[in-house]
Amino acid sequence: MRPLDEEETTHVFEKLHKFVGNNLKNIVENPSHEGPDNTPGRYCFRLQRNRVYYVSESLVKRATNIKRDNLIALGTQIGKFTKGGKFHLTVQCLGLLAGHAKHKVWLKPTSEMSFLYGNNVLKGGVGRITESISEHDGVVVFSMSDVPLGFGVAAKSTQDCRKMDPNGIVVLHQADVGEYLRMEDEL
Amino acid sequence: MGKKKQKIVLPPELPPEIPDEAVEVSDEDVAFVAENREYTGFLSNLDTKSINKHVTRVADVKEDDLESLYEKRIRKRSLDKEAEEQGLEVDPVDALPVKTLDGKLYYRTVPKATQKSESEDKDEANANKANANKDGGTDASVVRLTKAEKRAKLKKMRKEAKKQAKEGAEVEGIEKIPQAEVLDEVRKDMTVEEDNEKKKFRLAELGTALLTDPELNIKSLKEMLEISKDGDRDIVVLALKSLLAVFRDIIPGYRIRLPTEKEQEMKVSKAIKKMRFYESTLLSVYKAYIQKLIAVEKQAVYKRVAVRCICTLLEAVPHFNFRESLLAAVIRNISSEDDVSRKLCCSTVKSLFTNEGKHGGEATVEAVQMIADLVKDHDCQLHPDSIEVFMSLTFDEDLGKREKRDADNKFKSKNSKRKNLKELKESAANEKKKARKEMMSKTREEVTAELKAASLTTDVTERRRMQSDVLSAVFQTFFRVLKHALRPRSKAGSSPQAPGSHPLLAPCLNGIGKFCQLIDLDFMSDLMNYLRKLAGSGNNSGDSSMVGSACLTVSERLQCCIAAFKVMRNNLDALNVDLQDFFVQLYNLIIEYRPGRDKGEILAEAFKIMLCDDRQHDMQRAAAFIKRLATFSLCFGSAESLAALVTVKHLLQKNVKCRNLLENDAGGGSVSGAIAKYQPYATDPNLSGALASVLWDLNLLSKHCHPAVSTMASNISMLSTGENQVYLSNKSPTQAFKELSLEQESFIVKSDPKSSSTKRKKGNASLEHISMGSDLDIIAQIDENDVRKKLSEHYLLLHDIAENERLRGELARTTLSLKLHEQYKKQKKRRTN
Repeated sequence: MRPLDEEETTHVFEKLHKFVGNNLKNIVENPSHEGPDNTPGRYCFRLQRNRVYYVSESLVKRATNIKRDNLIALGTQIGKFTKGGKFHLTVQCLGLLAGHAKHKVWLKPTSEMSFLYGNNVLKGGVGRITESISEHDGVVVFSMSDVPLGFGVAAKSTQDCRKMDPNGIVVLHQADVGEYLRMEDEL
Repeated sequence: MGKKKQKIVLPPELPPEIPDEAVEVSDEDVAFVAENREYTGFLSNLDTKSINKHVTRVADVKEDDLESLYEKRIRKRSLDKEAEEQGLEVDPVDALPVKTLDGKLYYRTVPKATQKSESEDKDEANANKANANKDGGTDASVVRLTKAEKRAKLKKMRKEAKKQAKEGAEVEGIEKIPQAEVLDEVRKDMTVEEDNEKKKFRLAELGTALLTDPELNIKSLKEMLEISKDGDRDIVVLALKSLLAVFRDIIPGYRIRLPTEKEQEMKVSKAIKKMRFYESTLLSVYKAYIQKLIAVEKQAVYKRVAVRCICTLLEAVPHFNFRESLLAAVIRNISSEDDVSRKLCCSTVKSLFTNEGKHGGEATVEAVQMIADLVKDHDCQLHPDSIEVFMSLTFDEDLGKREKRDADNKFKSKNSKRKNLKELKESAANEKKKARKEMMSKTREEVTAELKAASLTTDVTERRRMQSDVLSAVFQTFFRVLKHALRPRSKAGSSPQAPGSHPLLAPCLNGIGKFCQLIDLDFMSDLMNYLRKLAGSGNNSGDSSMVGSACLTVSERLQCCIAAFKVMRNNLDALNVDLQDFFVQLYNLIIEYRPGRDKGEILAEAFKIMLCDDRQHDMQRAAAFIKRLATFSLCFGSAESLAALVTVKHLLQKNVKCRNLLENDAGGGSVSGAIAKYQPYATDPNLSGALASVLWDLNLLSKHCHPAVSTMASNISMLSTGENQVYLSNKSPTQAFKELSLEQESFIVKSDPKSSSTKRKKGNASLEHISMGSDLDIIAQIDENDVRKKLSEHYLLLHDIAENERLRGELARTTLSLKLHEQYKKQKKRRTN
């Protein structure tokens, strides 16, 4: 377990910034109320076996007691670095993203299932969409009852979506909560 | 005289004569009643009885009065007859001079008596009366009027002139020449002081003459115009006004085109020549008149009159020549400082917009383009009314679509018919007939084409073109205003206007809200961007980079949000777009709202459009709004707080999960999402963590002094217990706000005496009572009396106590001094001892 180096930090923050915009500040400065201390600590990012975790400081302190080989996970995983050095967000960070998301898409109940099987979001399935999404922004996908289902990348801006036909792709799939079942082993 | 005697002796002759001229009879009756007031009751009795009785009794009763009446009637009738006879036999010119001195009666009596209008009859009755008073001997028609009467007549004449013009009464025009002569004589007689009076009189004469026969008297227009160049203010005003009245009535329903030189060379018939002369004179005088108006409009003294004239002309004859200059003058005054002329101009432009049939829409295009230019020239610093007029524009969206289809159908049917015809013809093989038919159809087509060109109704494509011109000008103006509002203040600050004032923004936003369904989708994103920037412009004042940007007021920013929502809603075809940014703006604007400074109606409208009408909300966002609105309603007047509470109720009804807020213990945990603690000052509703809080505000609000607010608050707090109930959301926030703000004024007045009363609780109780009862005022009065009595008792008592204390003090002092005196005496005694 080690803190991220500069390059890794920029990778992670760039990725997160696509989804949460200026709320990234809130993610970093979020006070944690864990541990015995009265003063609230902060959350920080830690790298463990190519995976990036969002951990409270008090937990980090306690985790130092465990040998690196034996430490499987700590805090909330938010993503992993590929062998090529790229950073991918994983589905576990959905809660964090949903709380601070800037761009949202709400799915109609009929198309929820399709998305949870790992398909892209089509225009016909969109119940509602945030205004002012531009192309390649990160989008968090919700059900109509405001349950976060996953996230992805906008294929078109909101303006362009108006003119599209109902079969056009609005959001490219990146992760969804169905992965907890489908890819139990990999997570 | 012999005639007269006959008439008196033989009353039965009267009835057959009377029905011949019904007007005369009524006239006589009026005169009779007027003269013999004492007998009116008697008369009415008689009327109920049979005619025979009436006649006999009249014969019995009538005395000197009646005799004179009869005499007069006979004389007049004979005179009338004479006049008629003369009119028939001799040239009417000869018959007329008898009556010229009167000025008015003289040409009226020449047409048949039946044509007399009622007012005239009255006049005659008056004249008769006057005659009878002076001496019965003089002729009825020759009446000398005092000056006051003359003036009164002048007025009447004008009215009659208008009436006559409407009726289109035919009058003999030849009489005018002698009239003018006589008038000249009269004019000579007049003194210099009466010059103005004379001119007024002359104006009236000319006006009436013109209206009665415009073709013949068209030259007198010039004379009227001459009079309008007079130095005296009253005369000028009168001249302008009477010219206006004349023009309004005589201007034809078409646009005059002066003949070209080639056409002038051609030989034409007498009638056409006359017509051409008439038209050209009319046009030239009209042009001069408009120039005069426009010149006069710049002088402060005549400004209002000129503007009124221009507006009326434009409203009445928008199709006629020189419309452009009229329109330019109107548009120039559309944002004038003077309230009266501005209102006039605005209403004129509005009527232009609404009555497009009068001018075929061309004037609309011109007016809109002129306003656009005006806005451009004045850098958006105009009175809001100048843009407000756009709201009365109407656009026909279906224009062209339907008619196109019709045309297609027609074409098809025509084709099929033709085919049938052809077949028929071929079968008949009748060449002659075919040729003739083709000729017929050809000529018919030509005629229809000409008709179309001549008629005022423009075809569909033309109208569509004009409509798109109007639209583009309107939106050009709107976007210009928006852009101007976005421009940094540093530039605007150099101008004399107050920095950052955007008078046009509010009507512009309203207009965008109204016409947004007509905006091209391509502009939409730009428009939304502008609106977003405008709505957030006040927010960023803290940033050093944005200090220079124009600061909008809270109401203007709220209007931006409303406009954005309207734009989105009207273009919601397939995609339901969530306007997150504008919600954030509204969330922050709620705190910045100040009741005196900002408009409550706009806030209530924003609540309605953004929170109540929108179908779905985030749970977090809804909760944040609910919490903030509840807090908000604690701080402001009852109207605002009721509007807010109505919104809260709407939100709670729609978002079942948010009813957790009504529970006693703070939600927190998983429900409240990422934020564990409520942050009241968060700028983003999603990050406020409102679900972690409790709506304790409602408990306080249920003790609100206003009964409506308190009942609403307690209603809302009951929501969670009766979940299965079907709630009828009856009121919208705007309605609630309006009702309460209307009620508020009277409410405050009522509550004032109570608050001054010492017994607060009782006041509150009666307050609730008041608002429940329909007879508010009575109770209030009773209460007031009550309070006054109690107060007077209270103060009496206080007064008594004070008096008592004062007396006691005095007593104590006197006893003390007495004691001292005694002591002093004792000491003295001792010393002496």
